[in-house]
Amino acid sequence: MKRHAFRAMGTDVELLLDSENGAEAFAAAEAEFERLEALLSRFRDDSELSRLNRDRTLDASPDLLHLTELALDARERTGGRFDPTVHDALVAAGYDRTFELVPRRAEAAAGTAACGGHVRIEGTRIELDDGARLDFGGIGKGFAADRAATLLAAAGPCLVNAGGDVAVRGGTWPVGVQTARGTLTLELSDGALATSGRDRRHWRRGGHDLHHLIDPRTGRPSHADLIRVTVVGVDAVVAEVWAKALFLAGADAAVAEADLLGLPSVITTKAGSTLLAGGLR
Amino acid sequence: MTSHVGRLYALALAILVFFLTWAAVAAHPWATSATRDPRIAALVAREQRIRHESVAVRRIVNRRWAVYRRQLHARQAQIVAAKHAQLASGPAPSVRVVTLAPLTITRTS
Repeated sequence: MKRHAFRAMGTDVELLLDSENGAEAFAAAEAEFERLEALLSRFRDDSELSRLNRDRTLDASPDLLHLTELALDARERTGGRFDPTVHDALVAAGYDRTFELVPRRAEAAAGTAACGGHVRIEGTRIELDDGARLDFGGIGKGFAADRAATLLAAAGPCLVNAGGDVAVRGGTWPVGVQTARGTLTLELSDGALATSGRDRRHWRRGGHDLHHLIDPRTGRPSHADLIRVTVVGVDAVVAEVWAKALFLAGADAAVAEADLLGLPSVITTKAGSTLLAGGLR
Repeated sequence: MTSHVGRLYALALAILVFFLTWAAVAAHPWATSATRDPRIAALVAREQRIRHESVAVRRIVNRRWAVYRRQLHARQAQIVAAKHAQLASGPAPSVRVVTLAPLTITRTS
């Protein structure tokens, strides 16, 4: 088993490969993370995403175009609970720079911003309505994890863990999920899982605890009764989208929806309980 | 003078008695309900029957509407479930809870 770790997209990335020859595959996977970060980061002024947010219209590269289509599709599938147009709401809440640089405490109260602006795609051109700016922070990591896993899989069974977005190809992999009382191990094969929660990227503004999971319906960090949600999906993009959507739904609705959709999920509530749903026992 | 006034009173009384008698005769006080017009009786009976039938029909319609609403909700739930299943982008991969030590841990991203 070979392991390679590096930092990208504001998080720790870990690659595991069940093969003796992995150096080239590791390099290719790391390069893919760097390439996608250069395209999709909202914190880099020269990224393609920043140019789109600034200019309102852009002839997009295939990756930005594809990810935008995936994100808009996810917005429709989740009834708007997943929404790529949360950029301004994140900035208004205080998450206006890479998380390492966000002041953890400030007296000024956070603001709010509307989400749900219209995004048009015609051919390869993306157009944003006034006030609509995109953020691919979560889904972008899932997208990169899927891409890196596909590259690594050429060398053998592999696992990619991009700060909670885990994609595996080939073999079975025991993956730990944080619960209210420790770690639960899930054995995963050919698929992905992702965790969304309020317990890592959080800060205080004007005496209120805030976090990065914006509820597009309010334009503010969600008040859901959950700490984190882990969802297993066919790929890391799907898992990431549904982890956020179930988080915003709240405990009872999340369990019901995960069962209905058949999405294996581990749901940790603020009250300190851990709920298994979507066929997970 | 007295006899003239007396004659006027007598005339007025006579006119009053005449009209009272006319009104009494016109009211047919001797006629009983049993002798009501049979067409009116039939209409009244028909009206009551229609009233009862309309209540019964309303009950049946309400019952069928309730059944329809239940079936519609069930069908809509099936459509939503099917749509959601489609939205979840296919079946979830194989996963189960095990007691092995994990090789990696997913944390909040």
